[in-house]
Amino acid sequence: MKKILLNNLFFFLMIFLLTSATASAAATSVCIECHGGLSGQLGEIPTAEWHTSVHAVHRVSCHDCHGGDPTDYVEAMSSDRGFIGVPDYAEVPAFCGRCHVGVEEDYRASLHGQVVEFGGPNCVSCHENHAVQVATIDLINDISCSRCHTYDKPALIKQEISDTEAMLSRLEASIASLYRVGFDTGRLQDELFSTRNNFRRLFHSVDIEKIRAETAGFDADLAETKATIDELEETLGQRKLVGGALVLLLILGGCIALLIRRTFENR
Amino acid sequence: MNPAKEAINWLDRRLGVRELLHQNLGGYLLPPNINIWYTLGAVLMAMFGLQFLTGTLLLVFYVPDTEKAFASVTMIMNEIPYGWLIRYLHVVGSNLIIVFLLAHMLSVLFMGSYKRPRELTWVSGFILFNLALVFCLTGYLLPWSQLSFWATTVATDAAGAIPIVGDQLVAFMRGGPTVNEATLGRFFALHVMGLPLVFFALVGFHLFCVRRVGISRPPFGDAYRTTEMPLSFHHEEHPDGVPFHPNYTIKDGAMVFFALALLVGITFFAPWLFIPPDALEPADPFFTPPNIKPEWYFLWAYQALKIFPNELLGLASQGIAMGFLAVLPFFDRGLERRPSHRPLFVTLYLLGILLFVGLSLWGHYS
Repeated sequence: MKKILLNNLFFFLMIFLLTSATASAAATSVCIECHGGLSGQLGEIPTAEWHTSVHAVHRVSCHDCHGGDPTDYVEAMSSDRGFIGVPDYAEVPAFCGRCHVGVEEDYRASLHGQVVEFGGPNCVSCHENHAVQVATIDLINDISCSRCHTYDKPALIKQEISDTEAMLSRLEASIASLYRVGFDTGRLQDELFSTRNNFRRLFHSVDIEKIRAETAGFDADLAETKATIDELEETLGQRKLVGGALVLLLILGGCIALLIRRTFENR
Repeated sequence: MNPAKEAINWLDRRLGVRELLHQNLGGYLLPPNINIWYTLGAVLMAMFGLQFLTGTLLLVFYVPDTEKAFASVTMIMNEIPYGWLIRYLHVVGSNLIIVFLLAHMLSVLFMGSYKRPRELTWVSGFILFNLALVFCLTGYLLPWSQLSFWATTVATDAAGAIPIVGDQLVAFMRGGPTVNEATLGRFFALHVMGLPLVFFALVGFHLFCVRRVGISRPPFGDAYRTTEMPLSFHHEEHPDGVPFHPNYTIKDGAMVFFALALLVGITFFAPWLFIPPDALEPADPFFTPPNIKPEWYFLWAYQALKIFPNELLGLASQGIAMGFLAVLPFFDRGLERRPSHRPLFVTLYLLGILLFVGLSLWGHYS
């Protein structure tokens, strides 16, 4: 009997080893491991800010901007491994523009871009650096813009783009909902991503006439995306209708079975 | 001439099927006060049957290759007619099976039906419960999503805490130092062939035990009497009982309908309940998602491991707890089955449920 019990215990221990799960710390780059332990602007502040950023969400890590080798403690900050470090103020647009190519182009053509050498606004003036968030229309606001000039022109630009931005936000939310229930929204996401990026590079030009002229084209693109989303949402609605009917039928079937059973009891 | 009747007559003349059917259906009497908890076996059979059916259909299009697995699942969900329905029924079904298995086990524990002479029924049922968990674990990896990859990494890591053989055991389960193509192959083979074979054999044994020993009388009501353990084999008869068919099969049928309604309801309206966002991303071995957590039915174990100062101690305590539960009928040898006459057991039972729920919630929100 003891042997059987011991065998049983061993078997369940083995099964449990297979099915138990433990916590695992996220694997981080050596940049975060070292700088996360330092204090101040070279340490805990930027690493903590990065963790809250849209870059962290999209897995854009320290070395993607600052270069270097995130796998080697010794060579992490070696120029041989492409380490750049902190760019000068006027070089920030080029620093960010390695990825945000279109936005940099329109920004450089704008009044903002033309005065960056003289202390004009660069990317981080509006977007922050390590704590960079998903860009929204709220970045254009009285407090931010009034640091350098009056809010009249930014207010006009915001008014021009607000409808398109609202549509972009609605479509993003719809795509996220469809994705959550298993629809393959890859193509839609790519389309919207492209439209959004092109639209946002447009208003980095801060040219009100240009924005007015080109916004209609973006609205047309978004209307096409919306039509596809509407189709998918209709499909989802039909599924739910069928699902609801099936649930009701099954419950009805169960109730009828119980009623039939009562006739046996009465007999 | 009725063809069905003729066919039965033909079989009856050769195999005596009428007598067999009578013995196991109309002539098989169940306790008169049999309650709704006894239908969970039939519900589980139906759910497992559906898993087998939907799993077989998924096999037609699923590709067990790390480069193609996620894409094949995406194709099933979006391009194959009703593929989304088949996959969601399979995913939601696997979770509901754990719910019904837990309910089945808890009802058996509460009514003391695990006690002798039903030790083998209990042990085979308990192994089936664990096999269902292994089914879930192996199935979890197959879509090759971020959740699949990292949950499997974390789960197989746990075995590394065993002294001396831990690392070899991890490498054996994974087919290498990390979760990789070999792990997917192993888990796939186990999920679609190895486990079903053992599972069906064990279900057969479990049902044989149930039928051979007889259904236990629910330990409630004035008519209930504690019976002595017979010295030789004894089939528990219920001469005052109700026929299994049609009286009880129709009740089984009703509960199967309700369980399916729940399954269909979740499948159509809230499939995301059992599909975390990380399950929608393809596996990326170079990026660990933050706050990766096991499925809800492993959360208690996950949290328990965090409480103990070291992993081995945590694992050992869980293994001992599960092992103790497995061999409970060999320790709990008293004949009394009425919950009202077993205050110590009922107290421990309720504390156990509270511990399970508490640890799971703690694990979820931690």
